[in-house]
Amino acid sequence: MKKGRYVLKRLVRTIPIVIGVTLVTFLILHLTPGDPVRIMLGPYATPENIAILRAQYGLDQPLPVQYLTWLGNIARGDFGTSIRYNRPVTELISDRIGITVLLTLSGLFISVTLGSILGILAALKQNSWLDYLCTFQAMFWISIPGFWLAIIFLYIFGLQLRWVPIAGLTGFVSLILPALTIGLQEEAWFARPMRAEMLGVLNEGYIKAARAKGVRYFQVVVKHALRNVMVPMITMLALRLPWVIAGSVVVEVVFAWGGMGSLLVNSVLARDYPVVQGVLLIIALSVVAANLFADLVYSLVDPRIRVEGGKK
Amino acid sequence: MEELLKIEQLQVAFSTEEGPVEALDGVELTILQGTFHGLIGETGCGKSVTGQAILGLLDNNALIKGGRILYRDQDLLRLSPRKIERTIRGKEIAMIFQDPGSSLNPLFTIKNQIEEAIRLHRKAPAEKREEMVLQALKQVKLPDAENLMYRYPHQLSGGMKQRVMIAMMLACNPKLLIADEPTTALDVSIQAQFIKVLKELKEKLSLTVLYITHDLAVISELCDYVSVMYAGRIAENLSMRDLFKDPRHPYTIKLVNSVLGATTTLDQLEEIPGSVPRLINPPGGCRFHPRCEEAIPVCSQEAPPLREIKANHSVACHRR
Amino acid sequence: MSEDLQKEIASLKQKKTGQMYLTWLRFKRNRLSVVGLSFVLLVIFIAIFAPLLTPYEPYDTNPFRRLESPSREHLLGTDELGRDLLTRLLYGSRIALQVGILIVLFEGFIGISFGLLAGYFGGWIDEIIMRLVDVLRSFPVIILAMAIAGIMGQGLFNVVLAIGLVGWTTYARMVRGKILSIKESDYVEAAFATGESTVSVILRYILPNVLPTAIIMVCIMMPTALIASATLSFLGVGVQPPLPCWGSIAAAGRDYITRAPWISTTAGIFIMFTVLGFNFIGDGLRDAFDPTSKRN
Repeated sequence: MKKGRYVLKRLVRTIPIVIGVTLVTFLILHLTPGDPVRIMLGPYATPENIAILRAQYGLDQPLPVQYLTWLGNIARGDFGTSIRYNRPVTELISDRIGITVLLTLSGLFISVTLGSILGILAALKQNSWLDYLCTFQAMFWISIPGFWLAIIFLYIFGLQLRWVPIAGLTGFVSLILPALTIGLQEEAWFARPMRAEMLGVLNEGYIKAARAKGVRYFQVVVKHALRNVMVPMITMLALRLPWVIAGSVVVEVVFAWGGMGSLLVNSVLARDYPVVQGVLLIIALSVVAANLFADLVYSLVDPRIRVEGGKK
Repeated sequence: MEELLKIEQLQVAFSTEEGPVEALDGVELTILQGTFHGLIGETGCGKSVTGQAILGLLDNNALIKGGRILYRDQDLLRLSPRKIERTIRGKEIAMIFQDPGSSLNPLFTIKNQIEEAIRLHRKAPAEKREEMVLQALKQVKLPDAENLMYRYPHQLSGGMKQRVMIAMMLACNPKLLIADEPTTALDVSIQAQFIKVLKELKEKLSLTVLYITHDLAVISELCDYVSVMYAGRIAENLSMRDLFKDPRHPYTIKLVNSVLGATTTLDQLEEIPGSVPRLINPPGGCRFHPRCEEAIPVCSQEAPPLREIKANHSVACHRR
Repeated sequence: MSEDLQKEIASLKQKKTGQMYLTWLRFKRNRLSVVGLSFVLLVIFIAIFAPLLTPYEPYDTNPFRRLESPSREHLLGTDELGRDLLTRLLYGSRIALQVGILIVLFEGFIGISFGLLAGYFGGWIDEIIMRLVDVLRSFPVIILAMAIAGIMGQGLFNVVLAIGLVGWTTYARMVRGKILSIKESDYVEAAFATGESTVSVILRYILPNVLPTAIIMVCIMMPTALIASATLSFLGVGVQPPLPCWGSIAAAGRDYITRAPWISTTAGIFIMFTVLGFNFIGDGLRDAFDPTSKRN
């Protein structure tokens, strides 16, 4: 089957990326100017303690052996033990990953929905006030650092108006502000490409041909145009996913949700390397998986990809 | 014969980055029921704009400045976009375009796209539609229609796509079909095949067609009447017979002489000195005068009106 | 014959300057990009003349005048150590521009070099570089940079290094794509046909053609660099106090948000103003160089 071959090809192409991702995550630890163990234990560590910890982490082995051991452990679901919490990294992450996934997905949902609607309207009413407003608001949101927007929202709606709780995930209401912060910021990245893609597609011959045969304009947009912008928009979605994740890490810190973001930031500051590596790897692998998924969705949307086995 | 479509004094301008372009400046032509009407002119003379204006499919930067397009006595220019969409497009007038490669939606099967036309314009139960799709494809002599209709556009050749386009538009059952340079993007041998299909349809269905092209040979093979267009205006309206026996406008004469020679398409016309004027700043008076050997002083001052010199033959020239 | 050729060359040259002029006209006509340009020029002005604009020093603390609200003496009030907030924010433009420019230059250098290599040589070099790009793009820039900066330790140059090491992929992709199209153009083929060496072709034909795109790219990457560095500072792994950095001022102000909301607020406004300026310019440049992207 041609389609099966396409899927297989995509899968094979993912393998070097996965290897690369693990390699980068592994090597980050060795970027440190000094001995990571010495830094972990602080300036007053005794040589014996250092030696014990080195052996414990396998740091006395040559680098490739260390990498393979680490990889083998990860394959078995063992990300090592946190220095700070003295608990398995897997446990720390699995306790918190739900919160981060929830925030990321709700932020993504808001941004894609809002961005697509605005982008489509702007394209349909090209050069109208709505179009300019769409462009301008997009510029505005992408020019604001996410952490600051979160602080301002928290100040206005949490501290002044008292509409929402100021810290922690305590129910649906507490989800609104953080999700909206990410949604508004990322919406801009979908609205403008959506507008551009839509304008491009609306200029295609098949749109004019569909109109010439009497298809209602609304139908033309919904059936003929929208489906054609889906492939580039899915690309955009996969492209923005890392940024949405980064956004939710930052927003999570501001809103004091105890998710993976707070765990990551605290672990970076405390030099809790096993945790940092674990979180980084989980994030990167989910991005890789999302990209693979996007590739598979293309082939469902666009029949040309199925046959040629490549993007147009 | 009954007049099906009559264009009167149509004026269309485009606003562009470099300034306004007067694409059409008083186009006049009449299409008779059951005839093939050719509209010929060089690239950029406004013939495609004329076709798109009829269906209200001009780009957003176009402005209709005046004139009427009478279809069975109703002025299409005064219909609301909604009314045109519901009552004219497809149902009364359909159109096929120059580039068959981009005229079919790449994401839907041939069947899906033809069925859409049938669903819109013909009352047919769902189970009969497939049969109608097949019929439409067979009508344009597409081989292996049973399998072909499940294909996607990218799996078809250019000539096949253009025939699918005709099938799709004819499936709407329109009274008038506008064909905007349908063969320009095709190979010569495919062109011939396509024209043969069209000729057969002409005899079988008593179609009315506005055939837009820059290829005189194609027109002479298909059409009953011809409108010759130059730089946004009609130079001459005449019958096919008169085109070769009694052309009046100097431009038409050059055109016909060139086709009797070796070159057939207007883009290869070297016999006419000078080049097509750019419509952003057209010459005053008769727009052809800078290239005309017979020009007299009045030609550069006044635009000649289109005058009827005999039945079904009118010309816009001060010298005639 | 040769005269004709010369004429043709002259007209081509004229066309080219005409193109640049047209580009400038298009840029100028876009009101937002002119606004953006004035924003950025204002920030540069502030950075240069900060000492003349304020009577205070950014590091002068005053324990008796902590967290004062805005007054005639301290236009934007004081921070948690009694330093004049406006002064720190004005001086902050120096840090922001310095870090932003260094990041953009550093990642631009890596990205353009890799992009040149990949696009020009193709084959396995291209394959390796592009796979590396894929790998790095699987990590959120800010998060990977945070991890790297956190491990290397705080400090201005570590921030630049961390963001640069992660952020160059956009340049590489862009330059590679541009080169692939240039490589197929007639003049490069002609140069090879007349026996020019690879290095000479890169220097004489390819680099000059990539440069304009790279310049636009720098303007487009500046906002990301500014926001990323501010975010790192906010998270505590970037430029740290007492250096007056907008990101860390906003972070410090967060602890006093109820008592002194103006600290975080104004710091953010400074960041927004600068980033907005670069975004407007970038947008204007993009449209000016590629008018089809907006109209029609």
